[in-house]
Amino acid sequence: MAIETTNLTKRYGDTVALDGLDLSVERGEVYGFLGPNGAGKSTTINLLLNYIKPTSGTARVLGYDPWTDVVASHRRIGICPDRFSTYDGMSARQHLQLVIDTKNVDDDPERLLERVGLADAATRPAGEFSQGMEQRLALAMSLVGEPDLLILDEPFTGLDPHGVALVRDVVDAESDRGATVFFSSHVLGQVEVVCDRVGILHHGRLVEEGSLADFRDQLELSDDATIEDVFVELTSETVASPEESR
Amino acid sequence: MALPRWFPLARAEARRLLTSKGPWMLAILLVLWAYRPSYVGWDELGPNLTVGFIQIAGSVLLPLGVLLLSYRSIVAERSSGSLKFLLGLPLTRTDILVAKTLGRSAGIAIPVIGAVVVLVLAGGFRFGLFSPLRFGAVLLVTLLYVVTLVSIATAVSASTTSTVRATGILFGGFYLVLTVLWKPVASAIYSAASGHAVSAYDAPADGALFLLLRVSPERSYHIVTNWLLGVGNSGALFEPALTKLRTPTSINVYAVDAAFEPGSVPLYLHELSGLLVLLCWLIVPLGVARYRFERGDLV
Repeated sequence: MAIETTNLTKRYGDTVALDGLDLSVERGEVYGFLGPNGAGKSTTINLLLNYIKPTSGTARVLGYDPWTDVVASHRRIGICPDRFSTYDGMSARQHLQLVIDTKNVDDDPERLLERVGLADAATRPAGEFSQGMEQRLALAMSLVGEPDLLILDEPFTGLDPHGVALVRDVVDAESDRGATVFFSSHVLGQVEVVCDRVGILHHGRLVEEGSLADFRDQLELSDDATIEDVFVELTSETVASPEESR
Repeated sequence: MALPRWFPLARAEARRLLTSKGPWMLAILLVLWAYRPSYVGWDELGPNLTVGFIQIAGSVLLPLGVLLLSYRSIVAERSSGSLKFLLGLPLTRTDILVAKTLGRSAGIAIPVIGAVVVLVLAGGFRFGLFSPLRFGAVLLVTLLYVVTLVSIATAVSASTTSTVRATGILFGGFYLVLTVLWKPVASAIYSAASGHAVSAYDAPADGALFLLLRVSPERSYHIVTNWLLGVGNSGALFEPALTKLRTPTSINVYAVDAAFEPGSVPLYLHELSGLLVLLCWLIVPLGVARYRFERGDLV
């Protein structure tokens, strides 16, 4: 398993951000983690990356405990965080060099920047970057060292259609290489073309999991139903019975 | 030997500081601030007056500059989100604290060394050749003081969630009370606790008072450097300390040698205890911060 969580729970005082999540992501899979804003997607990712500590439950990332084996697990993970910021005074190349040196690999920063379409901006300070360029830089940083697992938190944020296509291409290429890709999104249309499987999170719980075909059968939707339809169907169901979703 | 895994981050931190204006502005101000020839200094120290300039550079302005350059180091990255990149690297949270502290220390120490070189060139040219041994020792203690200050600021920065709170603790608490106003504050605390009003003109030979005075890292830095300069056992700057100890003038300065009879000074008031105080300030706040930083939620 690339990711496995058991009864993973995160509470902030009385607020339950994540409620007993059981999640399994197979190695080599492209898994889309979907849900409306505030559903608990970022909380899950923050837990898997040791940004925050769990209230209860366990997790394994590439077989490692994410809260105690930080160094070993992060060596094999590529991370593209949500709501991040780059260092104003550092160039794109310096950002990559820091990741390359810390991961102790000998990747070429230029080649990585080329992959995300930032080759021309290699020496520019990241403080001058647009949001889309920052997002591309973060994507390049996540690719350092050919990670076994890519965790991309809302990777489509702030990207124009070219950028969205780029992320899809990168996800395809990394998946072909054999990497597991786990990403979160609330923009549904961008997800169904790249994912093998999706999980839908609502109010801190995983309400459904499977391929689009599974959902169509299960919800008796027509063959041309999109993931939007699935999503609306599932989340409105849980909204209709709030006591069950808690 | 392989480099420690936090080394690339420390190097990036140092480079980020060295390519910004702040530390170099501080270096220029330090030179202007510290070049202060005095009659009593020249009479008592001779050419080593130049080494005394380093102590002046290390006082008041240096702590303020170091705190200003360090207090945001973690708390600001936490609110901007750039900390997510650092936390995503294959580093423990302790590695991140160590890299921040040492990287920032190097990024500040290099311009400070530059300022010291300019100071001693100017002083050496004017007052003649000073003792290289005293110079080296005072410089080393000054650099230890820089690392200590960075460590305190990093510790506070790692333990708070708001920049405002970090500012309050470091500038309102640490800098104002423990650095600038510690002499009157310590005097007041001692007076209240002992029931006797205490005055620096005529201080009692009480070890507790002098121990309390050297809780301040600034005063401990002065005690150690005064010792290395051969001034005497005092937490004041070398010039007032010399005035108190070597001239008939009575001034408002605490000096162990003036309060105690020769031979009756308790061992814990030896100048080396100042070094111990600096080392405690270097290790303890960072240790507490590490404990909190390793356990908490950081986003």
